[in-house]
Order: sequence, then structure tokens, then C-alpha cells
Amino acid sequence: MNGLTDQRRRLGAGSSRLVWVLLLAALAFAVVGCGTKSTGSNKTQSGIGVDGAGGKKGGTITVLSASDVDYIDPALAYYQFSWEIIYPVNRPLYGYKAGSNKVIPDLAESSPVISADGKTFTVHLRKGVRFAPPVNREVTSADVKYAIERGFSQSVPSGYAGAYFSVIDGAPTTSPATPQPISGITTPDKYTIVFKLTKPSGVFEGALAMPLTAPVPKEYASKFDSKKLSDYGNNQIASGPYMIQNDPKTGKVNGIGYIPGRRVVLVRNPNWNSKTDYRPAYAEKIIFSEGFQDPNVMTKKILAGTGDVNGDSPPPATEMRRITSSSTLKKLLYFTPASGGRYIPLNTQKPPFNNLHVRKAVAYVLDREAMRKTRGGPIDGDIATHFIDPSFTGKGFEDAGGFKYDPFPSKNHTGDVAKAKAEMKLAGYSNGMYNNKPQVVMVADNTPPGSNTAKVVTADLAKIGMNVKVVSVTHPTMYTVYCNVVAKEPQICPNVGWLADFQEPQALLDATFNGKNILAVNNSNWPQLNDPKINAAMDAAEKIMDANKRYQAWGKIDQMITETAAAVPWIWEKQPSLFSPRVIPAVQAWNGGAPDVAFMSVKPGK
Amino acid sequence: MSEVVENAPRPDGSGGGSSRLLAAPLTFVGRLASSSMLRYVVRRVLWGILMLLIVSALTFVVFYVLPSADPAQLRAGKGATPARIAEIRHTLGLDRPVYDQYWLYMKRLVLHFDLGYSYHNEVSVRQEIFSRLPVTFSVAIGAFFIWILVGIPVGVISAIKRRSLLDRFTMGVSLAAISAPVYWLGLIALFLFSKDIGMFKLFGGSGSYTPFSQDPGAWFSSLVLPWCVLAAAFAAFYARMVRGNLIEVMSEDYIRTARAKGLSERRVVFRHGLRAALTPVVTMAGLDLGGLFGGAVLTETVFNIPGVGRFAYQSIIDSDLPSIQGTVLFGAFFIISANLIVDVLYAFLDPRVRY
Repeated sequence: MNGLTDQRRRLGAGSSRLVWVLLLAALAFAVVGCGTKSTGSNKTQSGIGVDGAGGKKGGTITVLSASDVDYIDPALAYYQFSWEIIYPVNRPLYGYKAGSNKVIPDLAESSPVISADGKTFTVHLRKGVRFAPPVNREVTSADVKYAIERGFSQSVPSGYAGAYFSVIDGAPTTSPATPQPISGITTPDKYTIVFKLTKPSGVFEGALAMPLTAPVPKEYASKFDSKKLSDYGNNQIASGPYMIQNDPKTGKVNGIGYIPGRRVVLVRNPNWNSKTDYRPAYAEKIIFSEGFQDPNVMTKKILAGTGDVNGDSPPPATEMRRITSSSTLKKLLYFTPASGGRYIPLNTQKPPFNNLHVRKAVAYVLDREAMRKTRGGPIDGDIATHFIDPSFTGKGFEDAGGFKYDPFPSKNHTGDVAKAKAEMKLAGYSNGMYNNKPQVVMVADNTPPGSNTAKVVTADLAKIGMNVKVVSVTHPTMYTVYCNVVAKEPQICPNVGWLADFQEPQALLDATFNGKNILAVNNSNWPQLNDPKINAAMDAAEKIMDANKRYQAWGKIDQMITETAAAVPWIWEKQPSLFSPRVIPAVQAWNGGAPDVAFMSVKPGK
Repeated sequence: MSEVVENAPRPDGSGGGSSRLLAAPLTFVGRLASSSMLRYVVRRVLWGILMLLIVSALTFVVFYVLPSADPAQLRAGKGATPARIAEIRHTLGLDRPVYDQYWLYMKRLVLHFDLGYSYHNEVSVRQEIFSRLPVTFSVAIGAFFIWILVGIPVGVISAIKRRSLLDRFTMGVSLAAISAPVYWLGLIALFLFSKDIGMFKLFGGSGSYTPFSQDPGAWFSSLVLPWCVLAAAFAAFYARMVRGNLIEVMSEDYIRTARAKGLSERRVVFRHGLRAALTPVVTMAGLDLGGLFGGAVLTETVFNIPGVGRFAYQSIIDSDLPSIQGTVLFGAFFIISANLIVDVLYAFLDPRVRY
């Protein structure tokens, strides 16, 4: 499994939704894991991604996916696959070129002008960007202001507005029923928008590249947003090079270009001006064809050219092995770091894991190589030894020690029982074995590959005497009923992981390890780590406006967190994208390697 | 000669032969219009409604009592605060007591036939299901014809040629067809016969479904493989059931009597034996078809057919209660309706049945 199927940007349960597919895939993954060396290190196929250069204008690209978008509204969409569609259709203030994780201006004309105190961000907009029919008019700064404001309302409950935009002065602390003005966002003229923040924020620039900043025409959208739950997504107006095929008179997309669970069809936005955009938008039409629950069928269709790329689930391991062993086919497969990883959080608020030495014992005893095999082995990614992953190269990865830093080393990452027992003795267990008072409880996925990971963890913990009681539930239930709810959280949640929303270490570490972010419900600080030194270091780091110094600070914080053993990182996943022979590939490197259809193109003559 | 024989009463006293067959529809209509029959139908309809209420209540209970994902949290996203989640819960009405939610749901359903809106994408559940019903009907009815047209003749032949090589072969094949999981058979069919990824490019593949109204040829091509795969296990099961029933019926006294009276074996089998042997098949066929109208989940999923079954599956994955509730209610409605129709049809098929 990898990041592609990760709803709400948390790492998901598995690549396919069918139990039987998962079973087959797990079996296949295990086989590959045992017999294949890493393909992720292939220089030409990995790195940060591909940029799709050299394509022809025109043609149709078909993206195959297992599932539908989570939401079609740009403010609500919070799923890797959804963003494959949202970005070509919308123009947030900032964006990314294919194959790159560098933030560049999109609707904005240039980088934001940041005041000396780091509390005022001024953004100038491009002129000549127009909305798609039926609105047709030019985009202004008021449209961006309204787009952000609506994300704070009850009718458009954006999943991340509070996390990244509540720093804006006047942002609602309790959501209004419908969008209301935010005093900290002002629009001095049609092409300027100013954000006044309550405190300096080093990550705010990164947040301006999120879809919430994509313009929304208030005069058109307010009638949808005034409903109890906004219906704007089903009637949305594009600003990007493409638009979801709509009724040009009403703007309705549902039932026309968007058939829930079946397909999303993108066509050219007739009002798009290529001179205002950095995206080439080669293809004439893009079809996201949904419902391909079987990854074998999906893969075969792509190789046969009846589909062009996998949209939300990777090829199964059996097919990956076949592809990587063929000199012709392996050129079609690309790996991209997934901007995050998986780890085993240990609940620091419950015994025995409120004891540092017990946690260290777990960090030593876990066989991370065996755990990686449950998800496919080396082909699925590198073994993680801390939290900032290789996708943050140049943005904190090296500052955190890169591939060399490992405070709990063992031979081939297979675990060190002797050191684990030594830590248990330091924790007060004289024979190095846990006495099972209290018994450790784990809530895990009830389907592979998560359930297999849980089995490995259970077996490893038995080596230091822990007889773990495993509660098996569905993946969403694991998150929303147990592991995200502080009162119900068990000692171990072995199937969690985190993807950064954008390439800032804060987006990776703050919600997950800052003590101030422990929430009664929807908690993502799964170890419930509340270390005053780490909290203070994070609070200081997020205010550093100099990027390099900020990365250094977060790199140090990463090491501090790792050494608490509050969570044991075990894999930095890589996203495999398989492209058909008829297209020139492009990936959203910043979005875990999802295909970038605004850069992909059909090869000449195809 | 034969007319005389066919008009003669059967050993069970129910009569038989062509004159009874001709008279049967009239008798059936007459019986349907009779007060006892009407009372029976009304009673069954009321029971059916009660059953739907129970099913809907059970769905609610299962969703809330058993560990199930929290739709408010799923909707809120990872960055949402507890206050935000509480607001979403309130907006979705999830903070009301379960009985209150159920009452509101049923009120909207009864008064406006409103199945609510998907938590997932805000579209009307009724609209979603109605748009998918023709697809599911296409899959189910096509498969139904295949399994009836294959299963019954194979069962009859096997019964007549009992213990022959042909019998052993057909029963062996049917055992294999029953044992083969639909998803496996589906993949094999795709890898062998689909136009896009098959070895023999004959029929539409996964995701090729085209509505009949758009292109009848493409519609047919896209459904041939799903029909065959879905029908395989049913046909095999029906063949074994017909065979068993027919063998049993053929040993009845009235069959012996018919033979003793000099009827040809064909008439004995088809006019007397098969008629009795098929009665339970009608029951099963009605229920199976009714069940499939509620969605052929695996077949629709493997072949990527946008029917009710795939919608139900995705709704469960998304913890989308309104959609789950809608698909469950529709499934229950079809099964209950099929049950009722079958029971009423019994009056036509078996004159001994009284209401």
C-alpha cells in the first residue's frame, strides 16, 4: 500500500477495497518482498518524479481509479486522488510544476511579499485569468477571499482550513452556518490580496498552495453555499486549464462531467489563457474512469493502452515483478516518495508505554524488515529510521540525519532482542520480560496488509514478554472510533501513517507530535506525546521565516521525537505510477507521485 | 386418445391435461379476484411493509451499535478540531438520538419518498439508486435468462439420463461452477475474452458498460461476460436442483400411473413430471432474481458495472449511512416483492395451494 489511496491524507488501509483483492495482493506482495530487490533506487525511474515534457497537443488521456473522489468541491477535497482532478481544474494562489515539490506562483503573479515581522502576506494576482462558463468573468482577489472564507463555514466544512488558515486574524473559532467575511483578509484592489496573521507562520506560504485558495465566484456560489451543506461542488466553476464538463448555461457538473462513482470528465476551459499559466495542458480531454477495484485488470488495461495511468491504487506486486523484470515495461513504471510514512505509535499516556525504556525496548525489538515485507518489501519503500522522509530532500531530510540517522539500530533492521531486553531491565523488569500488567491492547485493521503488519508487531513484542490483545476492525473504524479518540485509544495502533499536505516539515510533525494538538476527538497525535521541550521547539520553529533555518530546526525536532520512541517509524513509502506506452508521463511529486494530467500528453502518432 | 387421457383426473385428484391448462389462467384470475386471495395479498403486502420497517430499523441499529466509522470525522478531515466535528455532526443530524434520526428518516421516506443525501458527495440517494437500477436490471435479467435456459434443460437431461456419462459430466461441471468464486471466474473471463485485455478479443471488458439507449450493440457486448459469469453458479445450482426434483417426482405413483396408461415418455416427463419438479425452482428463481435486483455486488465490482451492487459496496466502505440504508431498503423491497409474487404464482402453478 502506498499513499495513493489515502483519504484525508492519512495513510490508508490498502490499495484496493475488496477483501479478496487485498488477500491476493498481500500474498503477491509477500512473494515480491521475498524475492525482489528495490526498484525504487532506479535513478531514471525515481528521484522526485517526471515532468511530462515533449508531448503533443490534443488527444484524450484516461486515468483509471478504484474509487471516487472524496469530495468534488475544491474546498472539501482532501484526498490524493481528488487533488489529481482539483488542481488541473482550479488555480490556487500557488502550485507546483510536474515532478517538482517547489512552490511556484499559479494565480499569484509572484512569491508573496512577507512583512518583516512575518505576520503580513501580500499576494499580487495575475491579470487575465477567467472563470469557465457560465460565469466567464475575470478572476479577482475577492474570489480568493471568498474561497477561503467559505472553507470556515458549516456549509463547506473544509478539512484543513482550521489547521493552516486559522492563523489569519479574524478567522472564525466557531464556524458560521454560511460563509462570513474574515477581517484579516483584505483586498485593496482587484489584483491584490493581503493576509494579516495573528503570529508569524513559516508554513503559511506552503498553505497558500492548497486548493482552498482557488478562486470561487461569490455571486454564483453563494446560492449553493447558503444551503445546509453546500452543493457548489456539483455546480462548480473552473479557473484552471480544464473544467469538469458542465451545462454551459447552469454550470451544473453532476450528471454531466461528474457521475459519482463512475467517472469525471475534464474538457478544456474555453476561457483559459495559456499565457497566464505555467501548465502546458496538452490533452484535449481527460477521463477519470472509476470503479476498477481489481488492480490486475487495471494494470493490464494500462499496459494494453486502454487506460493511461493508475489514479489511486498501485499495480499489484505480481504485476510489478513482471514489469520490473522486463526491460521494455519497466520504463513505464515510476516511483515517487510519498511525502510521509508509517509508524507504530505507542500511547505515552498509558502504562507500560509511559516508561521511556519500555518504548525504547519496543523500538529495538521490532523487525522493521519483516514489517516492510507485509506491504511488499523493498519495492514499497525504504525502511524509515526517523520521520522526515526522503521526499523532503533539501527541506529538512538531511537536517534530520538523512538515511544515516538511526537511534535504534539493528542488523538489517530485523530487531535486536538483547538490547530490547536490556531496556526492559532498565524499565524495572528484572528478567527483561514484561509481566503483562496491564495487558497491552492493540487496535488493528481486519484486512491485509494492515492485519499482517499487526501480526508481525504482535510476534515481535512477544519476544520481550508482551502478550498483546488484538482488536481487529475496519481501517476507518480503527481511526475514527479508536485511535483518533483519546478516551478510547489503546496502547498501540499499528496501522497509522501520515502524509504531509505540502513540503514543510511542520506539516509532517506538528499535528502528529505537538502536545498542544492532542484532541479529544480526531486526534492525530497518536502517541499523545506531550513533551514540553519538543512543544517549545516546535512553537519556535514554526515562527522562523528563513526557510533553511526552519528546516534545520525541524530536522533537530525530528531527532528529538525519534529518541523519545513515542512512535517507531518503519517505512518511507514510494508511490508507483504505471503509464501506458502511448503517453508521456508526468507526476505530482508534491502529491505523492499522483499523475499530473495537466502535464501528461499523448505521444506523437498515438 | 391423448386428449381423453390428459383430461382424466390425476391420482392426487387435481385433474390434469390440456383442458385444465387452458382453464388455468381463468381459474387463476378468478382466484386472484376472490376475497380470500385478496385478503391474502393484502395481508402479505402489510407484512412486507412491516418487514421493510424492521430491515430499516436493523440497519440503523447495526450502524450505530456495532463498531462503525464515524461519518462526521471522516467528513471533517484530519485537521478538524473536535468543535468542528461536532458542528458537522450537528449539520448531518448525527447528534440526535438514534430513534429520532430513524423517525425523521422514515418520515421523509414515507411522505416524500426521500432517501436522504449521501454524506459522501451530497447527491440524492434516490437519484443515485434510480440511475443505477436499469444497469442492475440489465445484469440480473440477462443472467436470469441464461441460467434458466441452461440450468433447467441440463437438469432435465441429467435426470433422464441418470448415471450416464453425460449425467456425470454435467453434474461434475455444475459442481465446479458452483465452487468457482464469481470474482475468480470474472477475472478468468476477462483475461480470456475481453476486447481490451483478453487473449480472444470478443466482448466488452471491465468498465465497458454502455447504456442500451446509447448503443444496444455495445450494451450487449459489455454484458455478455458478466451475464455468463453471474449465471454460471446459478445455472449449475438449478441444474442440480431440477435433476434432484425430477428424479424424485419420476418415482411418484401418479407418474407410474401415467406410464401405465400408455403415455409417451416425453409426455410423462414434460407434462407431469417436470411440472411438479419445477415448482420449487420457481420459488428459488423469484427469490434469486429479487435478490439480484438489489445488486450483484461481486459481478458489478469485478466488471466495473455501475449498478446498485457497486454503489452499496462503496457506501459501506465510505460509512455512508443514507446510501447504505437506501440500498438495503431497495434490496429488501425486491426480495419481499419477489417472495410475494412467487407465493401468488403458486396458486397458478399448483392448484392444491389455498390461501
